[in-house]
Amino acid sequence: MTQAVHFLPDEKSHEATRLLPYVMAVMVYLSALALMGSMMLHKGFGEWTETLSNRLTVQITTADPDIRYAQLQEVTKLLRNTPGIEYVRVLNDIEIEKLLEPWLGEGNVTSDLPVPDILDVTVSRSMTVNLDALRGMLSKVSENIHLDDHQQWLGRFLRLMDTVEYTALGILLLVVMATICMVIFGTKAGMAENRETIAVMHHLGAKDGMIARAFQDRFMKYGLKGGIIGLLLAFLTLTSLIFLSRDLASDLVKVPDFPIVQVAILLIIPFFAALIAMMTARMTVLRNLGRMV
Amino acid sequence: MIHFENVGMRYGMGSEVLKDISFNLKPGSLHFLTGPSGAGKTSLLKLMYLAHRPSRGKITMFREDVGAATRSELPRFRRRIGTVFQDFRLLDHLTAVENVALPLWIAGGKGAEIEEHVEELLTWVGLEGRMKARPPTLSGGEKQRVAIARAVIKRPDLLLADEPTGNVDPVIARRIMHLFLELNKLGTTTVIATHDMEVVNRVTADRMHLSDGQLQLFGAGETVPQEEEFEPAEFGSRLLDQNEFGPRRYVADENDREDGV
Repeated sequence: MTQAVHFLPDEKSHEATRLLPYVMAVMVYLSALALMGSMMLHKGFGEWTETLSNRLTVQITTADPDIRYAQLQEVTKLLRNTPGIEYVRVLNDIEIEKLLEPWLGEGNVTSDLPVPDILDVTVSRSMTVNLDALRGMLSKVSENIHLDDHQQWLGRFLRLMDTVEYTALGILLLVVMATICMVIFGTKAGMAENRETIAVMHHLGAKDGMIARAFQDRFMKYGLKGGIIGLLLAFLTLTSLIFLSRDLASDLVKVPDFPIVQVAILLIIPFFAALIAMMTARMTVLRNLGRMV
Repeated sequence: MIHFENVGMRYGMGSEVLKDISFNLKPGSLHFLTGPSGAGKTSLLKLMYLAHRPSRGKITMFREDVGAATRSELPRFRRRIGTVFQDFRLLDHLTAVENVALPLWIAGGKGAEIEEHVEELLTWVGLEGRMKARPPTLSGGEKQRVAIARAVIKRPDLLLADEPTGNVDPVIARRIMHLFLELNKLGTTTVIATHDMEVVNRVTADRMHLSDGQLQLFGAGETVPQEEEFEPAEFGSRLLDQNEFGPRRYVADENDREDGV
């Protein structure tokens, strides 16, 4: 590596690039927020799909309560005898009312409202249940019996998860590109500001690498400083959002937890920002010096 | 040491400011570069300190064809050349000591030894009390001495000076000339561009005389034809007329500041 000669003016007097660390902080803030949001949602979706993946719901919508009760008994027996099904639980009226409350409002589920019977079925993780065969057996009992394996829901969740992740990746790429453009602009402004100094360094025998080193060191510091500020702000923002949303969250939606281990990976963002700034500054300086005598 | 062969130089697409320049400077020789303002002295020095490429001809320095040298090879040659620029070209944000130490830092030197060496030289040129001063707080003469110290600190193989005594009082001017002569005795090839005929007449050295972009060479003691025409009293008698310790009133000719990289 070329020896460092600190020939550039003090950073504080560096008008052209003085604000660069703060712009870098904004860039890192946006990218960290996009990444953290994506990670949290990924974890949340993972938990939801995990919860739903070994669960089946059976609904009996027969209108006549007596017939419905008889069907309930038959279905419960059938399910308990099906290999691979671990547990069958019939939801009581209070539980069903609670499930309907978010849509109908508290106390609005009256006795004359036709409410289906619902069975919560837990499937063994180690065995496979032939859902088509099960569906066939249930329909033999009655056409008003519906088996929901949540695949439609899970499919939507997975598609949403993919969309959110690709969007976060897209935002990240845009932010990286904007950061590179900004560093190129800043480096060129810095070079123009120090044109005379660079000329003197050349006359005294400084190699291009030595001049580039001074700029790349400076921009690396800017990247690191901006990166740390941006990341701290992103952590603060997200913590506040989680705190607020926990207060507001209903039972319907569970706010995902902070995935500490994954978020710890984000600590490399400031170093990544510093690396981008450093490499961009170096390439910009070398390219521009190459056009001189 | 330096060999120019039919060298021409132009700025951009303009006409040639130097035409068919040919000369050979032997190692350890001393030369004055004279000529009227706008004759091309600074341009010729630019070619010699490798700040500009010739538009034609061949330049050999240190036994290598520098005209054909790549960009990455130029620093190696530039480190063997000490240059005193007419406009000093000091870095305003560095102290006098740091400015003078720059060539040593660039060459890879570090530590207290450099500082000691630099301070010794600055003391020698009369700046012992101005070591930590930055150029904007220095007078023209002080800046010039810092520039000279920076040019000679590495004891270069080739020393190029553009009006080195232009802004200093006669005592310092003599000291600076003495320093140049001492370096020359030690083997440094020296070229001094000057208007100062008192200095030229006092020192025995070959003359490179530029006029309208063309170069004529004269041995020590030879008279330059029509010199009287460009040697008005304001140049020749300037030193003699003034009090040796008094300030010199010299305004650099703007035409001579045709610089820029």
